Amino acid sequence: MRGYSRAIILALIATLVTLAGLSWAGIAHSRGKAILRQTAFVQNPIHSVPATPSSVFTTAHASFNDAVREFLGLQSTPVQPIAFNHRIHIQKGLQCTTCHTGVTQGPDAGIPSTNFCMVCHQVIAAQKPEIKKLAAYAAKGQDIPWQRVYWFYPSTHVRFWHSPHIRAGLGCEQCHGNLAQQTVAVRSKDLTMNFCLNCHVAKRVSVECITCHF
Amino acid sequence: MRRRDFLKIAAVGGAAVTIDGCGDHATQLIHFIPEETLIPGLAVWRPGVCNQCSAGCGLQVKVMQGDAEVVRNGQSGLIKMGLAKKLEGNPQHPVNHGKLCARGQAGLQVTYNPDRIQQPLKRTGERGAGQFARIGWDEAIENLVTHLSPLASEHPPQSLAFLTRPLMGQRRTLVERFLSGFNGAQMVSFEPFDDSVLREANRLSFGHSQLPTFDLARSNYVVCFGADFLGTWNSPVAHNVGYGAMRQGRPGNRGKFVQVECRMSQTGANADEWIPAQLGTEGHLALAFAHVIVNEHLVKAESAGTAGSRIDGWSKGLPDYSPDAVARKTGVAAEIITRLAREMVTAGSGVAIVGGAPLAQTNGLFTALAVNALNELLGGVGRPGGVCFSPGLPLDESKRRPANAAEPRLISVRTFAEQVLSAREPDTIKVLLVNGANPVFAAPTGWRVREALDKVPFIVSFGNFLDETSNLADLILPDHSYLESWMDDVPESGTVDAVLSIAPPAMLSLHETRALPDVLLDVSRHLGGEASKALPWKSYEEMLQATFTPLRHSVGSIAADTDEEFWGKLKQQGGWWSSNRVGPPKSSPPVASFAPVKSEDPTWDGAATEYPFQFLPYVSQQFLDGTHANLSWLQELPEVLSTAIWSSWVEINPQTAARLAIGQGDLVEVSSQHGRVRAPAVLSPGIAPDVLAMPAGQGHEEYGRYATGRGANPVHVLAPQMATATGSLAWASTRVKVARVGSGDLILFSGGPTEFRAEKLSR
Amino acid sequence: MAHQWGMVIDLDRCTGCEACVVACHAENNIATVSPEEAARGRTMHWIHVERHWEGEYPNVRARFRPVLCQQCGAAPCEPVCPTYASYHTAEGLNAQVYNRCIGTRYCANACPYTVRVFNWFSPEWDKPLHLQLNPDVSVREGGVMEKCTFCSQRITAAEIHAQAENRELRDGDVTPACVQSCPAGAMVFGDLSDPTSQVSRLARLARGSKLLEELGTLPAITYLERE
Repeated sequence: MRGYSRAIILALIATLVTLAGLSWAGIAHSRGKAILRQTAFVQNPIHSVPATPSSVFTTAHASFNDAVREFLGLQSTPVQPIAFNHRIHIQKGLQCTTCHTGVTQGPDAGIPSTNFCMVCHQVIAAQKPEIKKLAAYAAKGQDIPWQRVYWFYPSTHVRFWHSPHIRAGLGCEQCHGNLAQQTVAVRSKDLTMNFCLNCHVAKRVSVECITCHF
Repeated sequence: MRRRDFLKIAAVGGAAVTIDGCGDHATQLIHFIPEETLIPGLAVWRPGVCNQCSAGCGLQVKVMQGDAEVVRNGQSGLIKMGLAKKLEGNPQHPVNHGKLCARGQAGLQVTYNPDRIQQPLKRTGERGAGQFARIGWDEAIENLVTHLSPLASEHPPQSLAFLTRPLMGQRRTLVERFLSGFNGAQMVSFEPFDDSVLREANRLSFGHSQLPTFDLARSNYVVCFGADFLGTWNSPVAHNVGYGAMRQGRPGNRGKFVQVECRMSQTGANADEWIPAQLGTEGHLALAFAHVIVNEHLVKAESAGTAGSRIDGWSKGLPDYSPDAVARKTGVAAEIITRLAREMVTAGSGVAIVGGAPLAQTNGLFTALAVNALNELLGGVGRPGGVCFSPGLPLDESKRRPANAAEPRLISVRTFAEQVLSAREPDTIKVLLVNGANPVFAAPTGWRVREALDKVPFIVSFGNFLDETSNLADLILPDHSYLESWMDDVPESGTVDAVLSIAPPAMLSLHETRALPDVLLDVSRHLGGEASKALPWKSYEEMLQATFTPLRHSVGSIAADTDEEFWGKLKQQGGWWSSNRVGPPKSSPPVASFAPVKSEDPTWDGAATEYPFQFLPYVSQQFLDGTHANLSWLQELPEVLSTAIWSSWVEINPQTAARLAIGQGDLVEVSSQHGRVRAPAVLSPGIAPDVLAMPAGQGHEEYGRYATGRGANPVHVLAPQMATATGSLAWASTRVKVARVGSGDLILFSGGPTEFRAEKLSR
Repeated sequence: MAHQWGMVIDLDRCTGCEACVVACHAENNIATVSPEEAARGRTMHWIHVERHWEGEYPNVRARFRPVLCQQCGAAPCEPVCPTYASYHTAEGLNAQVYNRCIGTRYCANACPYTVRVFNWFSPEWDKPLHLQLNPDVSVREGGVMEKCTFCSQRITAAEIHAQAENRELRDGDVTPACVQSCPAGAMVFGDLSDPTSQVSRLARLARGSKLLEELGTLPAITYLERE
């Protein structure tokens, strides 16, 4: 019985992979050309242009690989241009809101610009290699291209506001782990819908779809 | 195994056979340090001044932080900056009361337009071939200064001209002062569907050479002759606000609205009574109303004062304008004329409006004066529910011009073209500066603007976009968009208050553009001498501050103890307005010696036998004169009566169409003695059988990806015929013929009701 | 009690200016689709103004009617959705959950008001037009159905701001983009569960009627007929 179902699964996988691959290849090479014969969905056929096949077909993803990664919810580990050390900043007594100033007011927490970092690091630890990298960005008039640690795929259509969560008394560590123990921030919580909903249900706040998806 | 797990495994298998795509483009770009700090994700609302038409509405601009791709020091990269995300009306503003029209809403797409000119350009190919090289600002300014300095020092007369659409606010003063440094420099003003006939009539009737303001909110009766005042004419947002209040803002007192026109406009569709009258006879109809009112002794003829005295036969009771006589001329039944005339008076506080096609006739001035007289008869100027004229700002106008400086000569594009084409060396224009005007597209072929421009040795454009006119330029110094500039305006109409709209840039500039006023200040500094003496300011901002801080001493919306405090609040609030009328009206004294106008019929270009139709181009709901045809939101906005999108078309009465075997969407050719144009037909029950109408604005040969090559330009058909009194184009005085030539490419909005519902709704 | 969002559209005020249509495009990241696609009936308008001719020249009349999702109380679009992407919220909205939608388009077929639009392809903006996009609203990808949300992002934002100020929502706190823009003041939005709100008062006027109410869809929008 076990072997039988495995065979079916393998066969299905093979079929699916082939179909997906073929259809992807076709789509990938057809941008700007008509490949799909779509019948026009015309509610009220009053225009004088005949409904010929569309020449526009775009995919939701840049590559098939992207589609798969998104489907599985895979996110690669970000590599930061500078190994920012959260722990040491917290140990020195800085609050999260010192740098992430937007978190109490708006949807986004925000990351400060190079200029803001240089207020302190003009002097403090100026000789350390990572700070030298920072100073080099500042000297060139450039911001640091930080990589996002927590994010959602666009197709999940998740929109998140930080400030109401802070006002409700949630600590940053609830979703981001204990940053006092991290150097470079890592994704220490898996922000799945389950994760959000468990809390929303427990706290008896809205679990309406459009509270987060709009 | 659950379904989801199975799918995941299947998908992983798929992933293995594909190759990873490229990295995200955005991550490979440099990130510049932001030049302003905003809280991410939170909107700030900044004041603005709308520049989409000349109404001067106040804006509030929703600005949010975003990543924009910019060029800094020759390097491209991303920068976090405040980006305009939505335009809404400024709720405090006395003209638009927090509201905005469709074109105003679409103004975002001017700033973010993909076809904007992003840095100075120098022509490299043949003139008109559209070949340009990108140059830096230093080179561009130097180039312009090199061409201007001989004109400033040697003083050959009339060698410089500034071709512009009507300039807002202090931009006009600045340009006038700039031109005063050149001997006999000319200001050439161009607005395709201008209101100069009405301004002239208002000067004669009321002593105000400006567009009128209507107190619709307190009117009980509105009779309008041809003006699309709820759509495109004068100050449409202000009119809509007042109109809404007139209809349902006063419980138990719903105002009545009568529209007289031969093609139903968006405005006319809202009328309680829609009266189609022969185009060009609206003045006669207005005087027939007056005839009834005076002869039935409802109102005394003398009460029309000066406005009445402009009409021949007014004091004698207008014997030539009896309802029966006028009915034959206008096609409006005598009973209707008599009934409406009585209604107007008994309703109390009635107002008459005139504008658009009736004034774009050879007899436009007669028509305007006739309606003005009717208006005065119905109660006069300055009365609640009537007409008034917005006052100017309580500022010392004598400071506008430097001492001894002559006012630059203001001429029309037609005169300009004639001059250039007839002039002999060395009395010709050497340099033409162009700002926002596009006469190559919008002036009739008979004016020969294109030929004239070919004779001008050096043309400089300040345009944001390559259009038919700026495509001929030798040098292009692109202006900021209006969201990136200091903007100021004193609305000509739409409010009873004295109003200044003013706003700092809502966002930093996206491209390497520079604001026109600052470029002119820079150029005048380089030129030195007279030119720079007339413009002593370092920046346009400084000029605005110097000009407007004296308003602090007048009673108005801002109370401040110091000039700095006043200036700070002015910038924050987006303007200043008086709480009551304080300033002198922008007016000229009434003219005493003016022979009263006699009954005048319009002169049509073309014989009725060969050209049986009157041709009515009209200002487009989407694009106005064509300025907005490059905005995709407006291209895909269904024109509300035809529901057409991305199109232009010819409106034909269904019975006429049946007679000529023309069906909906068929390609037809409309031709006059002067040109022809092809467009698909729209069968419209709201048009007279002997009139063909066509929206302006499409048919661009050069205006970015959304407009170029789309639709047809009705201007090609127009006769270069003028309104006798003012010399402006009589754009609705051409006769045409029409014929089916094939099948067309009309696109109608298809999201309307299903047949089932359409049937139910058209009870 | 939960809010019941509703709207009144006064057809006696509406002049057909279509400010609402462009305001909606700007607010909700609605794509323009190109002339070719528009000719196939694929424009994405969440609100449009219908024009109905009556009579013949010269006794002709045109009537305008802005039509958007009627946020029906008994919505035909909801029960037909196989993935529950189209569902009814506690506050009376017909929500469209994009991440659930698989593009069967059953809902569009079921809607008698023809106000649901389908993304036949992922929208693209010619740079830098993408900078006009409203970060408060997501951009829908190909294969997803979309429709008017009564600007639910504005409702959410107003609720968050009211919460921050420790107060209840007040009448007039929430204005969808179309209502905000309407120059003639033809559109009014608010809470129908509050009998004192402006929208409730207007909805009770004798001129009021619902669009195709005989179908039993219980629309949340009341039209006040032209006099």
